[in-house]
Amino acid sequence: MLSYLLKRLAQLVVVAFIISVLVFLLVHLLPGDPTVSILGGNVTAANRQILLHELGLNTPLYHQYWIWLIHALHGNLGQSYLTHETVGHVIATGFPIDVELIIISQVVAFAVAIPVALITSRRPNRPLDNIATTGTFGLLALPPFLIAPILVAIFAVGLHWFPATGYVPFSQNPASNLHDMILPGLALTAGSIAVYYRLLRSDLIMTLQEDFITMARSKGLSNRRIMMRQAFRPSTFSLLAVAGVNIGALLAGTFIVEYLFAMDGLGYSIVQAVQQRDYLLVQGIALVVAIAYVVLQFIIDFLFTVVDPRVTRE
Amino acid sequence: MFLSRGAATGGIILVGAGASAGLAGCSSGSSGSSTSTGANKGGKAGVSTGTPKRGGKAVIGTTADIDGFFPPTNHWDNNGFLYANTIYDPLTAVAADGSIKPYLAETITPNSTYTTWTLKLRSGITFHDGSALTAAVVKANFDALKASALTGIALEQVTSVTITDPLTVVYNFADPFVSLPASLATQVGYVVGQAMLDAVSKSPTTPPHPVGTGPFIYDTWQPNDHFTATRNPHYWRSGYPYLDSITYRPIPDTTQREATLKTGGVDLILSADPVTVNHFTGQSPYQVVDSLSDITGEPDVAFILLNCASPPTNDLRVRQALAKATDQAQVIKLFGGGLSQPSNGLFPKGSKYYSNTGYPTFDPTGAKTLVSAYKQQHGTPTIELVTVPDSRDIKVTQVLQQMWEAVGFNISVKTVEQAELISNVVTGNFQAYTFEQYASPDPDLNYVWWSTTTVAPPGQIALNFSRNSDPQIETALLSGRRSPDPATRVKAYQTVNERLAQDLPYVWLGQTVWSEVGDARIQNFANPILPDGSPGQPFDNGIFFPTQIWMAG
Amino acid sequence: MADERKLHSPGVSSLLGIFPGQTPPLVVAAALADPPVDDDILAKRPLGALFWFALVWVALVAILAIIANWLPLPNPNHQNYAAINASPGIHHILGTDDLGRDLLSRIIFGARVSLVVGFASVAIGMVIGGTLGLISGFKGGRLDIALNAGSFVILAFPAIVAVIAIVAFWGQTLAKITIIIGVGTIPIMFRVVRASSLAFVNRDFVIAARTLGATSTRIVFREILPNVIPAAVSFGLITVAGVIVLEGSLAFLGLSVALPTPSWGNLISEGTANGNLSINPYILMWPALAMFLLLLSINLIGDRLRQRFDIREGLL
Repeated sequence: MLSYLLKRLAQLVVVAFIISVLVFLLVHLLPGDPTVSILGGNVTAANRQILLHELGLNTPLYHQYWIWLIHALHGNLGQSYLTHETVGHVIATGFPIDVELIIISQVVAFAVAIPVALITSRRPNRPLDNIATTGTFGLLALPPFLIAPILVAIFAVGLHWFPATGYVPFSQNPASNLHDMILPGLALTAGSIAVYYRLLRSDLIMTLQEDFITMARSKGLSNRRIMMRQAFRPSTFSLLAVAGVNIGALLAGTFIVEYLFAMDGLGYSIVQAVQQRDYLLVQGIALVVAIAYVVLQFIIDFLFTVVDPRVTRE
Repeated sequence: MFLSRGAATGGIILVGAGASAGLAGCSSGSSGSSTSTGANKGGKAGVSTGTPKRGGKAVIGTTADIDGFFPPTNHWDNNGFLYANTIYDPLTAVAADGSIKPYLAETITPNSTYTTWTLKLRSGITFHDGSALTAAVVKANFDALKASALTGIALEQVTSVTITDPLTVVYNFADPFVSLPASLATQVGYVVGQAMLDAVSKSPTTPPHPVGTGPFIYDTWQPNDHFTATRNPHYWRSGYPYLDSITYRPIPDTTQREATLKTGGVDLILSADPVTVNHFTGQSPYQVVDSLSDITGEPDVAFILLNCASPPTNDLRVRQALAKATDQAQVIKLFGGGLSQPSNGLFPKGSKYYSNTGYPTFDPTGAKTLVSAYKQQHGTPTIELVTVPDSRDIKVTQVLQQMWEAVGFNISVKTVEQAELISNVVTGNFQAYTFEQYASPDPDLNYVWWSTTTVAPPGQIALNFSRNSDPQIETALLSGRRSPDPATRVKAYQTVNERLAQDLPYVWLGQTVWSEVGDARIQNFANPILPDGSPGQPFDNGIFFPTQIWMAG
Repeated sequence: MADERKLHSPGVSSLLGIFPGQTPPLVVAAALADPPVDDDILAKRPLGALFWFALVWVALVAILAIIANWLPLPNPNHQNYAAINASPGIHHILGTDDLGRDLLSRIIFGARVSLVVGFASVAIGMVIGGTLGLISGFKGGRLDIALNAGSFVILAFPAIVAVIAIVAFWGQTLAKITIIIGVGTIPIMFRVVRASSLAFVNRDFVIAARTLGATSTRIVFREILPNVIPAAVSFGLITVAGVIVLEGSLAFLGLSVALPTPSWGNLISEGTANGNLSINPYILMWPALAMFLLLLSINLIGDRLRQRFDIREGLL
């Protein structure tokens, strides 16, 4: 057990390190540099050199990376070149937004996908199932940047049920916070609903063909009881795995929703930082996202082994 | 789609937020008007003649957030100036008739040769931290601005600044310099407290706590989320402000910003997209003010920036052909909401600097002839037209592509991000880029963009981006800079404008249209009164004064 | 056995998509595939009318996309300022957009981009990633550990940063975008094929082949590959669907093929921009509908085929 944990920890460190190097190289290879974002059109050759020197950007790349690494190991991820906001602060304000968006979208996805799958998996390829399948594809073909304006037009501008933009931290005002997060969360949820529904349905259909189900039926157990107690549990394994993956991908992928709903999350921050060549901010956020991703995978894997003892650990 | 946060920036602070590489720009400068409906007391949108009500809170939806509140190091676009007008005061401000009036200053007078300007401050003004506004503080501000990589250029001509008494600052110049008051209405004219200057000196990378003399006091700023300021009870302009607090919320997507106004999430929005005007005009109860009619100083214009030093745009025939092939009216109809008029230069009709410049009119046949002539010598001219990844800008380039290819050009369209775009423009590594610039209270503040002294070959950094080196322009610019005689100045800038129409470093695409739209409750947002009682410039390309705003009901 | 389908942890949990704000293509693939269903439960029926509908639609889109140049369509990029936002009618069957460009023409030419990006990028992923996965699953050992770790790192990398950076210094042509996305699907395909081949590696028939003296190459390509192909193709087909939707998100961010070249992603993105939604919903509606039908069709084809050709593991 301990060796397993240590092994995963080592994996985390190695992955984080490699990613930090790759991100560093990638952003520094981009044309332009932060002086343009800072000075705008007021760039003269002299100004630019002065500023580059002040920012520590005219030393060799490996040196710059080394400095960053040393600071990072001491917990100092630096600041934005433009606003001087610390990277830590940007992450501290942005991360909860993304976490909440993901939680809401996943909760809604499960709340819709599970019941529908439970119903339709009993009669596959019948009309109800076909309707659900078609509907699912509608959701999948509607990416967030398409759903969001439609949701806003109907529920915000039309019905005035929700705000069009804005965010209040949960700690400040939980009710407002949830109220603000519903439309953005819904905009993110469509793809997840489709995926979870199809997967669960698929698993349930296969499980329902298993011998132990036939046996339960022959014992006279009702269909509903079979479904809930016998069939559903094994099916949750794949669901768990896929959820882990889905959430991992959403981690820094919420940019579009954050941009449209004017929320200050990590997706928006990292894209803006890349555009403005705000190197330290890009590195810091990329690092945090990568770590969060690895930790997430670890948790999922661990849950997996706990839940199904037959699965071996590698 | 997405504008980088600084998309509206890019230009020089002289004119307080000049250039933008996209057509969804920024900047301060002249022009402000009230058009269309106003469901508010007084009839005219944004102007309220009723009795102001004290108290309440206003929430403003803006286009983007800023980098910071420190004038020497933070590049301000229109949003920067909004924030600045909230917690700071400028030394001078633009009046509705285009003249420059003292604001924080009590008087600003030149000597007979215009080589010295004497600025006397009003007495009894204190900063939010209780410290007094003195000449020493103003000089300290100046020193920081002059030393900065960002703002130093704007103050290049000043040879020294001296203090003759606790409230008097003297600016000295080597040559006559007529436009100092206009400069002091831009980024270099906002005065911050000594404590803020000290904080930055001590720790340059820590964001300093903003200290100003303005109508509101800095309260909280969460970048990309909101900025809030609360009423200054000791504001030197007695009676102001009316609001208890004001909050700005950056909402980058225009459609979402409009939706937020409609759902009541904000009381007022700003927009750089002309369609907003059309969306809300005539829709009760909204009050719509746009930047088109009142023309003072120099407006914000959209244009295609051409590189006069690289082929094929270095050939005058090519530039002439591009100008003739562009149907400005059609472009404006498609993207400008049909609101502005085609430009023939820097100044619109109604401006005192306007003249018949001789800028080519839409003439595709003439363009074709020019292109054929070029083609015989050098082959088909191929041009890469570049813009930022904004959906509207991209569409404009597609329209231009079709118009220009119709006369024989080979045009490819490309998008690059703002940072790279500005980088390329500055180093002359481009052929044709979309741009937006030149809004300013006085044309002299745009000197560096057109001067022959700021040209450099492609590959080197130059502020005269198009690298158009025209000695006649230089002479005219200097004449305008040095002569106090209004008629001479008008002639000078008309000459500049006419020379630009000959040299054609720019293909004009019309004035940009900024708008502000308020709901029924917000009052008097387009009716600032200057300290001497005269009306101020109502709406300056996305900038207004929050001082006189009040909330009804 | 139910657990035979499950892959060894961390295999399953590492099925990954890499692109932002988007349900990752492989997750889509994993989830969308219909399971093989016993004849007892599923009423005995042939491939079905729906299947043929789907096949016809996909074929139609593909054929139209290929012969687009020879069809009597107006130039998809030609702007006709006299016919802006025209409703569907005689002159423009599906109407025009806000620059007066014919929507039918743009959709057909746009299909070209979407289909190429969809199929070609997945093909890249399958060929390279699949081969690596096969070899890695079979050989195991250090090669396997290394490739596994490598794919994990790529998948943990913030994709949007990578795409923005690569597009910024490389470019946005159809070929380049296809390659970028293709390379992005390699780690995913690698993991799926690897996991799948792992399931077969210790089977009796493989051991038998080895005992008979077959070389590794022969075993991999003769014994394991045929068993892996159905799952891989099925996943691949559905990943195509995911990539087509992904192209839409990239277009929204300005990272897809350069305008004015139409792609379904570009069209949908233009349809939501600048208030077009209220002015002329057709700009959005047609490409969204076309994409929806295509995704539906691909899925139907994919899982019907899988039902037909699926080899139940228990039968081996």
